[in-house]
Amino acid sequence: MTWQDFKTHYLVRFWAPLPAVLAAGVLSAYYFGITGTFWAVTGEFTRWGGHLLQLAGYHPETWGYFQLIHLEGTPLTRIDGVMIIGMFAGCLSAALWANNVKLRLPRHRIRIVQALAGGIIAGFGARLAMGCNLAAFFTGIPQFSLHAWFFALATAAGSYFGARFTLLPIFRLPVKLQKIDQALPLQQDADQARRRFRLGMLVFLTFMAWAVSQSFSAPKLGLAALFGLAFGLLIERAQICFTSAFRDLWITGRSQMAKAIILGMAVSAIGIYSYIQLGAAPKIMWAGPNAVLGGLMFGFGIVLAGGCETGWMYRAVEGQVHFWWVGIGNIIGATLLAVCWDDIAPVVATNFDKVNLLAVFGPQGGLLLTYLMLAMSFGAILWWERRFFASQASAQTASTEKPA
Amino acid sequence: MNKSGLIPSYRLDMTGEPCPYPAVATLEAMPHLSHGEILEVVTDCPQSINSIPLDARNHGYEVLDIQQDGPTIRYLIRR
Repeated sequence: MTWQDFKTHYLVRFWAPLPAVLAAGVLSAYYFGITGTFWAVTGEFTRWGGHLLQLAGYHPETWGYFQLIHLEGTPLTRIDGVMIIGMFAGCLSAALWANNVKLRLPRHRIRIVQALAGGIIAGFGARLAMGCNLAAFFTGIPQFSLHAWFFALATAAGSYFGARFTLLPIFRLPVKLQKIDQALPLQQDADQARRRFRLGMLVFLTFMAWAVSQSFSAPKLGLAALFGLAFGLLIERAQICFTSAFRDLWITGRSQMAKAIILGMAVSAIGIYSYIQLGAAPKIMWAGPNAVLGGLMFGFGIVLAGGCETGWMYRAVEGQVHFWWVGIGNIIGATLLAVCWDDIAPVVATNFDKVNLLAVFGPQGGLLLTYLMLAMSFGAILWWERRFFASQASAQTASTEKPA
Repeated sequence: MNKSGLIPSYRLDMTGEPCPYPAVATLEAMPHLSHGEILEVVTDCPQSINSIPLDARNHGYEVLDIQQDGPTIRYLIRR
């Protein structure tokens, strides 16, 4: 295999989503084992909001929510912080390799409104539930915390309403079907592609060198940065999108991403289980109304925005301006939640139990139950898919039977 | 990559639009074509690589070609 072939097949072309999600599941288990924490992004975004408040002269470090998630240090001294910087570096390198960075401006003002509003709702909901899809799917469920199941089911329901809402006429820009007699000529600007690829390599290798050098003085930080880099490559190259996993079940009946994510959780769960059996502490959260309410808001918000807390990261570095607004919305929403947390926490969260399935049903029972519920979720997707296309087919026959 | 002889009859230009609109518009456009006609969808939404081809096949259309020019992706889909 020549270098050119390798580059085209592995660095420039999109990766298939299923293997990429499985790899993310395996990596997130190792990440937990090595760093003692989980692959999660919204907590760190909330801290960024906290730092901004500090710059503005407030003292968010005295608020309950920031004491809960800790506001000490800077992004460069926190595991979550360097991991996220790694994710951005990975996303950016992957997008540059494929010459996939382009300033994509929204076509209409309504897109900015929905990006910002959806981002705020999703950011608020995610933090209300103590973590977004990553915390719930790649850490919560495989870490055997009941709250993550509440969150997942509520997110599915919220995304259904989000999908109905997002297809309302107000969000639909007129599209014109043009009659044409030849295909649009596509010309790759070879020089630009080459320059971008080199720039991508520069970002990738520089960050890698920095992370490796860090790993000698602060092993956890260095490794977290490297994991972030790998996560970033995976989500951009395979375009892993949790929003589409939920939304497209309802809109077009497509189930590929949803199935991939369930399988990703399945490979992750057994890895996390092994670390917990060796003595690592899982992160268990309150299984209260906050997980349900947060999930509903999160599901609705990510569909309205078009991307979740992870999705906006790679889209933003690809130059999709729409998702810059989603990111800003996420940080605003998460910070708003931190502002009102002390008032609502006893009612919706802190007075409820933190349910660890491994403690309630015993290690084997909890593991078995988790896999049983994952299998049931997979079955439910298969059932929904069949039902979706069966009703579509009958609608089509009905419309063709009608006299023209 | 370039398949000669495929002449699309219609073009749907979704440049600048994010998910799910390119995939939704594609599925809505297809019934307006006559059987055998080809639709060209032009988009710069990278995520469409995971949505448009699968959705088109799931809904009974044939994906003839996918071409990529940096950020621009073009799908040729036959009804």
